[in-house]
Amino acid sequence: MKIAIPVWNGFVSSVFDFAHSLLIVDVEGKQERRRSQIQLEQQAIPQRVNQLVSSGIDVIICGAISRPLAETLTVSNIKVIPFVSGSVDEVLEAYLGNRLAEPQFLQPGCWPGVRKRFGCGGGHRHRRGAGRPGKTDP
Amino acid sequence: MCKKAQSKERDVILDSITEGVFTVDLDWNITSFNRAAEDITGISRQKAIGQQCKDILRADLCETDCALRNTIETGKPIINKFVHIIDADGNRKAISITTALLKDETGKVIGGVETFRDMSLIEELRKELHHSYTFEDIISQNHQIQNLFSIMPNIAESNSTVLIVGESGTGKELFARAIHHISPRRDKSFVAVNCGALPDTLLESELFGYKAGAFTDAKKDKPGRFALAEGGTIFLDEIGDISAAVQVRLLRFLQERTFEPLGAVSSIKADVRIVAATNKNLEKLVKDGAFRDDLYYRINVVKLPLPPLRDRKEDIPLLVDYFISRFNRLHNKNIGGVTDEVLAIFLAYDYPGNIRELENIIEHCFVLCQDEIIETKHLPITFQTKEQSESSDIGKAVTLKEMEKIFIFQALTRNKGNRTAAARELGIHKSTLFRKIKSLGI
Repeated sequence: MKIAIPVWNGFVSSVFDFAHSLLIVDVEGKQERRRSQIQLEQQAIPQRVNQLVSSGIDVIICGAISRPLAETLTVSNIKVIPFVSGSVDEVLEAYLGNRLAEPQFLQPGCWPGVRKRFGCGGGHRHRRGAGRPGKTDP
Repeated sequence: MCKKAQSKERDVILDSITEGVFTVDLDWNITSFNRAAEDITGISRQKAIGQQCKDILRADLCETDCALRNTIETGKPIINKFVHIIDADGNRKAISITTALLKDETGKVIGGVETFRDMSLIEELRKELHHSYTFEDIISQNHQIQNLFSIMPNIAESNSTVLIVGESGTGKELFARAIHHISPRRDKSFVAVNCGALPDTLLESELFGYKAGAFTDAKKDKPGRFALAEGGTIFLDEIGDISAAVQVRLLRFLQERTFEPLGAVSSIKADVRIVAATNKNLEKLVKDGAFRDDLYYRINVVKLPLPPLRDRKEDIPLLVDYFISRFNRLHNKNIGGVTDEVLAIFLAYDYPGNIRELENIIEHCFVLCQDEIIETKHLPITFQTKEQSESSDIGKAVTLKEMEKIFIFQALTRNKGNRTAAARELGIHKSTLFRKIKSLGI
């Protein structure tokens, strides 16, 4: 399985849409086998998704992500684990140890129900209605 | 005044400012965050304070060219820099930022202050003006549309002629522009021509141009749309409406990549990619002899079928939110959403005019709605009389729960009972679907 993490200075990049560097980790079972890093150009969503698909990525662990990018990745059969923050090594270890839902890895201000929607748990309640200027993360 | 009182007074002042304001210490941790900043980012002050500013602002320059870092390092403010952020709802938003140093009473630098304005309206107007829409502007979680997204880069990279088919109002031009914007031709022109809107003779001169003296009023040379689109993309909308004469000329262009302006004695070579679109059944037109089969095969190289809105009803809530958000900006209103009843009516309707019709309905509601929520009384009169008298199953449903039941049943039927495929189409996890099937008694 190939896990991708957008990185910046050893940490998970704040926003995947704007990230420039992607760490790719080959994992067998729960063991890390190999790491490599690729550069991400500033591309439109379909091109960014295509780059991940052609790199054989199965899972992406990232920080904030726009809805269109998250939806397109999911349709392309790449599992998205969004709104994660922390050092890359700790995040990777937590993922392999099934501990990524712990609060220290949760980036503040994720869109409602996002982690649940992408199948990664999380305690955010769903909120109806949108387009309301001035609403903030509960 | 004690420190606590000073801090409270500072917060009151900051909250009264309409621009977003936050301050950071020298470790980039947020130390204050005003109400407007909460509104723009969608992140509460409580969650923002103490966090790294890059994790809260989430701007495109945070990790490459941080404005605050530049200001703190050089002492120079940055004024009105245009950047994009991802807000807490996953929306890409344009903002303008200004930075300055934060000093204590002795003049020692203790951090930085960033103020920012929401520029979504400006960007919206710019997009409207220049028609510079991109993939980010296509709102859909529909599986069929998402599949089109996944093949779009390959289509854009190629030079092949594209045929976009779909009913009126399904977003054919939006797709054509999006393809152009991710293609190697993006720096050249995108020229759109509605072939159905021009009379036959005018269309010919409009497309290919004319030479001075070609006809009575042709006083000087006029370049056609093909010449204007040199190096770029020409979008031929309503291609099914063009006459036999224009079909021949178009065919020649597709075969030889050259065209002759009216009255010209020699051909002009052109490097133009064609993206055509129609809401008609071209195969039927070919069978009926109204459309040349050789031209049909030339333009039908890559075909993109866009589903009508009635086949992607899962997108209706998203589109409603998008249009409400857009009209809030354009009309300077503060409408928060629609009632469940209105949403049920929207979901029940079949939209012969597709997304454009939904957009018009919501614009109608915006004109009438002076409250914070759009109710049935704000809907066009036709909806108020028919409301739920639609003949479809959905039209008979009253509650959202019943609506959900019908949607799931229809998705299962479309996918021949395959629950995994139905879950994927509905955009939910298969275990969620299993649970809903059980709880709704499907």
